[in-house]
Amino acid sequence: MQDELKKLVSSALADIKGALKESELLNIKAKYLGKKSKIAELMSKLKDMSIEEKKQYGALFNKIKKDLENKISEKINEVNSKVDISFDDSLPVQASLGSLHPVTIVTKELTDILKRMGFSVVSGPEMETEYFNFEALNIPESHPARDMQDTYWLDNGKLLRTHTSPNQVHAMQKYGAPIKICAPGRCFRNEDLDASHENTFFQLEGMVIDKNVSIGNLMYTMKELLSAIFKTDVDVRVRPGFFPFVEPGVEIDCSCLICGGKGCPTCKNSGWIELCPGGMIHPNVLKESGIDPEEYTGFAFGLGITRLAMMKYKIDDIRVLNSGDLRALDKFNVE
Amino acid sequence: MLISCNRLKNYIKDSQKIDWFSIWDKFSIRTAEVEGVTVKGKDIDGVVVAEIVECEKVPDSKKLHKLLVDNGKEKLQIICGAPNVRIGLKAPLVNVGGHVCGLKITSRKLAGLESFGMMCSAEELGFAENCEGILELPDDYIVGKDIKEYLPLEDIIVEIDNKSLTNRPDLWGHYGIAREIAAITSHELLPLDLVEIPNNKKDLDIRIKNPLCLRYTGLKIDNISNKQTPLDMQIFLYYTGMRSISLIVDLTNYLMLELGQPMHAFDARKVNSIEIDMAKNEDKFYTLDNIERTLNSHILMIKKNKDYFAVAGVMGGLDSEILEDTTAIILESATFDAASIRRAATYLGLRTEASARYEKSLDPNMTIIATKRFAKLLQEVDKEIEFASNITDVYPNPLKEKKIILKKETLRKYMNIDISADFIVKTLTTLGFKVKEKKDSYDITVPTYRATKDISLQADIIEEIARMYGYENIRPEPLKLELTFGELEHTQEKEYEVKRLLATKFALNEVHTYLWYKTAFLNKLGITKDNIKLLGKSEDNILRDDLCLSLMEVAQNNLKYQNKVGIFEIGTEFINGENKRVLSITLADNIKAIEYNFYKLKEIIVTIFKTFYNLNVTFKKEKSFDYYNEDLSFSINVASDRVGRINVVKSNISSSLSKKKCFLTASVDFDKYEKLTKQEYLYENVSKYPTVSLDYTIIMSKDKKYEVLEKALGDFKSKIIKNLQFIERYSGEKENKYTIRYIVGSDEATLTSDELQDFREKFINHIKKNGFSIIE
Repeated sequence: MQDELKKLVSSALADIKGALKESELLNIKAKYLGKKSKIAELMSKLKDMSIEEKKQYGALFNKIKKDLENKISEKINEVNSKVDISFDDSLPVQASLGSLHPVTIVTKELTDILKRMGFSVVSGPEMETEYFNFEALNIPESHPARDMQDTYWLDNGKLLRTHTSPNQVHAMQKYGAPIKICAPGRCFRNEDLDASHENTFFQLEGMVIDKNVSIGNLMYTMKELLSAIFKTDVDVRVRPGFFPFVEPGVEIDCSCLICGGKGCPTCKNSGWIELCPGGMIHPNVLKESGIDPEEYTGFAFGLGITRLAMMKYKIDDIRVLNSGDLRALDKFNVE
Repeated sequence: MLISCNRLKNYIKDSQKIDWFSIWDKFSIRTAEVEGVTVKGKDIDGVVVAEIVECEKVPDSKKLHKLLVDNGKEKLQIICGAPNVRIGLKAPLVNVGGHVCGLKITSRKLAGLESFGMMCSAEELGFAENCEGILELPDDYIVGKDIKEYLPLEDIIVEIDNKSLTNRPDLWGHYGIAREIAAITSHELLPLDLVEIPNNKKDLDIRIKNPLCLRYTGLKIDNISNKQTPLDMQIFLYYTGMRSISLIVDLTNYLMLELGQPMHAFDARKVNSIEIDMAKNEDKFYTLDNIERTLNSHILMIKKNKDYFAVAGVMGGLDSEILEDTTAIILESATFDAASIRRAATYLGLRTEASARYEKSLDPNMTIIATKRFAKLLQEVDKEIEFASNITDVYPNPLKEKKIILKKETLRKYMNIDISADFIVKTLTTLGFKVKEKKDSYDITVPTYRATKDISLQADIIEEIARMYGYENIRPEPLKLELTFGELEHTQEKEYEVKRLLATKFALNEVHTYLWYKTAFLNKLGITKDNIKLLGKSEDNILRDDLCLSLMEVAQNNLKYQNKVGIFEIGTEFINGENKRVLSITLADNIKAIEYNFYKLKEIIVTIFKTFYNLNVTFKKEKSFDYYNEDLSFSINVASDRVGRINVVKSNISSSLSKKKCFLTASVDFDKYEKLTKQEYLYENVSKYPTVSLDYTIIMSKDKKYEVLEKALGDFKSKIIKNLQFIERYSGEKENKYTIRYIVGSDEATLTSDELQDFREKFINHIKKNGFSIIE
């Protein structure tokens, strides 16, 4: 009987192995495990056996039945999982992706960092009044920046903003103190175009006003900001700088990332890149916007977004950015 | 501005203790940016004082002389081409093995004669240009001595960024720079050597007739005989960017470089009395550079009646310039209103060293010092001069002393550390301030050379302390602010999320364009625009009122390289004199694909509003700019609010760009867009009972639009309708077939076949009644 069972099992396994369709396997199941199957026939002999043998063979029959059932349902799964469609699965595909402007990408990075530091992002108009662009920022009437050759004056008496600093004034007048804002945006200066000069470029303005804001706070914020931008600890050099709307005014340089500070054409051989003008907000500027300089102090800074984008992507000609030439610009994926 | 370290050393006690090469890094972070440090004269060696003892012409040569030259050790044969060689002349000789101009001098043959060295000119020694002969040295120079013992050829020249000096009138001369160095290095600044001029002569006739002249100091000097500028001064002038002209002119330039005070000398034969007043419109005047200038009534002049002598603070006149035979001068040392000088210089297109300094608001108290210093220096080289007038000083409104009280508390607030009173008093004192410490404050008197422009407030004094303390020594301190929510403006975020959607979902490219129309592009399209204009420009000067036009130009340029273009920008348009933020999208493709692109554009717009606001938009026909196709101009609306437009460029206009292309544009008013309110999804119970999907295909003649069918569908009402969708359109020759899909169901029970049959019949009847046929 054992031999007979062995034979049956191996023949069943061979049948299962050779089957290609679910229906074949169901037939195999009927053939070997059905009511009229050989195994059923053998099992019917159990009743004539001794208790000992009953125990022995009963367990064996159960095991064989279970094993075969498992094998068959495994095989059914296997044949069913094979799709009977054949095609060339090796053709190439392309990402369906447009592009963002490099300046947009860098602006997003900057505002993300600043938002993490608790800055709100605000914005203001590109066509400005003399008041917001100059007067409220303590830039006197005789200042050279107000000249025609530097500023785009308009025939309606307004102008195209020459920096993002008017946003300081808008924000102070809208929200008062304390405040912590940044404002990216387009700026315009009446310049002839060449590889490093554009009449339309992007800046980012930052401003913090509160009761005890110190020069040390400015230092900390700038160093952290620049390190976050360049994703590395940058060397920062702070030196006096003059801007009518800050006092003390500083220029924040960072070590040249192209040459590592040894000196190269990008940094004009100085090892430093002038990156970020800033300073403590001039008391006249606070006063003009209704904030008491005796009570509040604050700092402000500017960042050249266009410049940062050029550094990040190693763009050597600023004119590419406003060219609209997709051969150059569609390389900039989304992030 | 170029600075000579040799010169600075004269003003500072124990200056040899300063490392004059490396101090400039510190100067950059304490005072103003240094752009470069250059070492001069190190490349010159082996040059000695020599005397010509024999001199004869070389036969058959036009220029060459054969010289016998005493170099202190031996007499050498030198062949020399200079015209001014003569017996007894002392001149520099480069011995064999010595270096000038980066060359090693060897003995060599000229016209067949051996020359054992080279006589050299000021040019070869590096302090002049276009010299015609060898440098003539004074008779008292000792033969054989190294030339560097007499001439300060070795120097360190420092270039300071002019931009970083705009608010520091005091730093436009060497003496001011020396004051900073003294403060930075804790050295003592030495006083200048001056000569006191007795007040026993007559005053000059000087009249200030316009208050734009703040102070005018004059002095007449007679009996000038020496014309020779000392060699060390020539070297200094050359190294700092000027050229030696004649003693008097050189001295005025020297004073300007030393003190920052521009000076002018008039030939006393031409000028003997002076008034300072405005020019008359259209008057002509020849400046020193021999150019006729047309004046206007905003230009301040030095004059007498109708005779002009100088453009005040800018340039002198040709007529009264110092000549070879000038022996008497009127010396001017004056201060003018900074803005008026800048305006005059800008108007005349004549920015001079003098005007650059006057623009910075010079200290009126410098005029007297400069005059006395000039007199002193002239006297040193020309002992015979006579002061023919008193120092005549016209100074109508003397500058008042400026006092500032610096509160200790304010200083602490800015610095966030305590800085010792010692440091503050010492630093400010070296910088020229007078400081008195009080319990809670410092009483500070500002020196006049800092008071004209840059220092008027506590914050200005704090800057002095902070920079001298060193920004690098101030401890970076994290901000401690209350943890409140900041102000929230959405614009940047809204812009970014839309841009990202357009770039990722619709594969569009973002570009940046200019705020003004390109005139050439408008002309090419035959479009005329009128809007706000940029002043002072005749082309590309009209601000745009349609960003899409800017994008069309970009699209057109890119069609040279690709078949289709899809671009966008969020930028400013100028409508009715106001800024308007706009998102514009432009698609350009083959003319045959116009319909596809039109629906693409609609889909983009619908998707934007659905994605970010869950809002449905509708399109309505409207009038637009005349370069857009009238039949294909639509407004984009959210409820009844117009938020943008979709346009197709007229084919005659687009064909002037590109024959077989179409241009489609959409524009969203971003100011409105960013203020929309998101329609939040509300949970709806999912019906327990199954719904049934019913597709119908309706036939309509080609001359009718879907909107006709849409209206008919809208009129059909049934309470079991859950949803209606347009699926697709099959275009036939005369007719179009539209497949639509109803989802029907009930929340109360499964629909019975009777109910469905009833719906079917009613719908088909309704459609037929409206004149359409339907495929059943």
